[in-house]
Amino acid sequence: MFESFSSLMYGFSIALDPINLFYVFIGVFAGTIIGMLPGLGPISALALMIPITFSMDPSSGLILMAGVYYGAIFGGSTSSILLNAPGVAGTVATSFDGYPMARQGKAGKALAIAAYASFVGGTISVIGLMLIAPLLSKVAVSFGPPEYFALMILGLTAVVSLSDKSLVKGLIAAVFGMMVSIVGIDLQTGTERYTFNSLNMLDGIDFLVVALGVFALAEVFVMLLRGDDNKGEKRKAIGSLKLSGAEVKEIAGPVGRSSVLGFFIGVLPGAGATIGSFLGYSMEKRIAKDGDTFGKGNIKGVAAPEAANNAACGGSFVPLLTLGVPGSGTTAVLLGALLVMGVTPGPMMMETRPDVFWGVIASMYIGNVFLLALNLPFIPLIAKILDAPRPLLLAMILIFCMVGVYGMNFNIFDLVMLLVFGLIGLVMRLYGFPAAPMILGLILGALMEESMRRALQISGGDWSIFIDKPISLWLLVIALLSLTAPSLKKLYQKARTARA
Amino acid sequence: MLPRKTWSLRSAATALTLSIAAVGLSSAALADWTPSKPVEYIAPANPGGGWDTLVRTTANTIRAEDLAPVNFAAINIPGGGGSVAWAQIARDEKNDHKLFATSPPIILVPLSGRSRFDHNDFTPIARLITDYSIVLVRADSPYQTINDLFDAMKENPSLSIGGGSAAGSMDHIAVAGAAGAAGLNAASVNYIAFSGGGEVMTNLRGGHIAAGVTGAGESSAQLEDGMLRALAVSSPERIHGPLADVPTYVEQGIDYTFDIWRGVMGPKGMSAEAVTYYQDLFARMQETDNWKESRDRLGWYDAYQNSEEFGKFLDEQYELFSSVLSDLGLLAN
Repeated sequence: MFESFSSLMYGFSIALDPINLFYVFIGVFAGTIIGMLPGLGPISALALMIPITFSMDPSSGLILMAGVYYGAIFGGSTSSILLNAPGVAGTVATSFDGYPMARQGKAGKALAIAAYASFVGGTISVIGLMLIAPLLSKVAVSFGPPEYFALMILGLTAVVSLSDKSLVKGLIAAVFGMMVSIVGIDLQTGTERYTFNSLNMLDGIDFLVVALGVFALAEVFVMLLRGDDNKGEKRKAIGSLKLSGAEVKEIAGPVGRSSVLGFFIGVLPGAGATIGSFLGYSMEKRIAKDGDTFGKGNIKGVAAPEAANNAACGGSFVPLLTLGVPGSGTTAVLLGALLVMGVTPGPMMMETRPDVFWGVIASMYIGNVFLLALNLPFIPLIAKILDAPRPLLLAMILIFCMVGVYGMNFNIFDLVMLLVFGLIGLVMRLYGFPAAPMILGLILGALMEESMRRALQISGGDWSIFIDKPISLWLLVIALLSLTAPSLKKLYQKARTARA
Repeated sequence: MLPRKTWSLRSAATALTLSIAAVGLSSAALADWTPSKPVEYIAPANPGGGWDTLVRTTANTIRAEDLAPVNFAAINIPGGGGSVAWAQIARDEKNDHKLFATSPPIILVPLSGRSRFDHNDFTPIARLITDYSIVLVRADSPYQTINDLFDAMKENPSLSIGGGSAAGSMDHIAVAGAAGAAGLNAASVNYIAFSGGGEVMTNLRGGHIAAGVTGAGESSAQLEDGMLRALAVSSPERIHGPLADVPTYVEQGIDYTFDIWRGVMGPKGMSAEAVTYYQDLFARMQETDNWKESRDRLGWYDAYQNSEEFGKFLDEQYELFSSVLSDLGLLAN
């Protein structure tokens, strides 16, 4: 404990260096802006920064780039809430309740909650990083293929809580999402699946293309179809930013729980902010007494995923900093940048480059404070976007989505896919298929399938590998319980009332 | 069966002589042609991978040493394991201001039927470096030598060997080829494909797989904490630096080498003057201290070949990889 403290002081001595303070600020500022623009993700932003950081001291370079990364996750909630257009993949779940809140004239409050929850989630994850990062690297390696499969199964049980009206329609949507997730080259055999011999489909369909299509574009289509009948809505009002004492109390639990959950999910390579935020959201929806109001503008539905995705972002630094292994596409870019700057990340980095390790951790505390201070005053300004006349607003959403999607790979084909998924999203809306389970299937499907096949390949086709491994067994038991608990509870209550 | 001894890399000394010779030849050619606008220097992948590191490191060295009158602008075109970028570059015939980083996938991906364009659709400029394939186990593994591992694989073919790329790509070819050279059936290797070398390392550390195969360069930092042990490296002779203790396949009685080479190509129909200019530029670059420092840090070994040699070499690689893929049953058509 004392050792971490003195190391952290050393870290602060680096992070508080005026030039590094400047880099933290620039990093989180740029990150927030990038996060706000739908589609423009942290990966492309970081790629742009590699040439800038090349000549920098490695700790400064990583401080800057890490700032962009967590800044983007922090800022990504803004367009999810205001426009139903997720800024980065990790903030899709925020739109489930954030966008309804904005439509109810509570945009200011939703944005404020997102900012506070992000701040707490980010800070909790830095504390976790500082105190137990080396220990957590053991958690990260304890997850092999069977464990990931079981975790994905547990994640999929959230379909039940994400399908609000019809469970059957929710399941259909989830299966469709899983089907979309397997498009592309199959790693285990090198075979193409559902690519229709198109070069553009070889890498599968990007998550953000689907998310922007079925959320933002479908929303635009719905608004166009319905014409001007939503004049009654208080679209223009931003509402107060202030939270009442009762509201603070209400979100305190969800923020705390989701921060811890998100952090641990983030530690696992391959999981990350998106899965973390979905799990945080569905966990809170199940725990909450007013769970049925989730998806209709519940403040806990904004707080939970925002705390979780920022915590997961911090957690994703564990494999990078303690093992020298990237846990996600974004951390892979960070790793590449470190290599170019002359640091070889590896399990000994904490010893060989303490300046990088502790400097970055300390800079994250500062960065999170900057982010909160940066974001809060801007909320009324940014929320003014809702004041724009509706035709202009719709056009803006379209442009944001298209620029963002095109900016990912500079490929026109992605725009076609955006339109296709916009239309699919519209059809789903018209026929009452919920979009959230589909997105969940899309996120979890590929990793679930890959993990299952890897596990079976390792065990020589023996399915008992999934119950022989204790972590996997426990995750499956929890999944089973979470599926059966509501029905068991109902049965029990029925039996009691029948007896009475 | 696999061809036994495949091909081996020219020694560093030869490469050095060649590159000096190339520099000598270049002075006349230099006057003929120089780039007149920034060179688009493409990494056919996302930032952070091997191609990207090569592009950025060489571009930075060229800039830092002031070797070219124009900027080499690093551009990432990800997708399809390179095929998206190749399709774009193939459309840009005769462009003298476009280069891209290349390595075995330029041969492997078309062979497995996932790219319409292969190495014949581009102009070889120069081979620059090579890395080697390395097999790792956890420190507490019962396998002390590569032969222990291969013997165990004979007994128990379901022993899992993880690699960081899809079936039929580099890591798979590297380990299956070695197993074939050791007398095993190459197709029987239980290769588990992970999405990246990082995942192989975490699964190896966690004891989820029996062994892992990855690039030697990226493994050296992973070996530092003593949790992992290297069984064999695919170089013709022991490599210097942090991996000097790792025995080669050859010294363990398996006649096998494998190079993860990387080089530079341009569009088809690039002018001969431009090809000469670029091949000499890269030869000069490899002589600079700036380059040597980066190269050593990244665990690369100089393996320069000029355009003509590189072209022949690519044809040899094509033959080799076709036969390995066909042994594995992964050859398209």
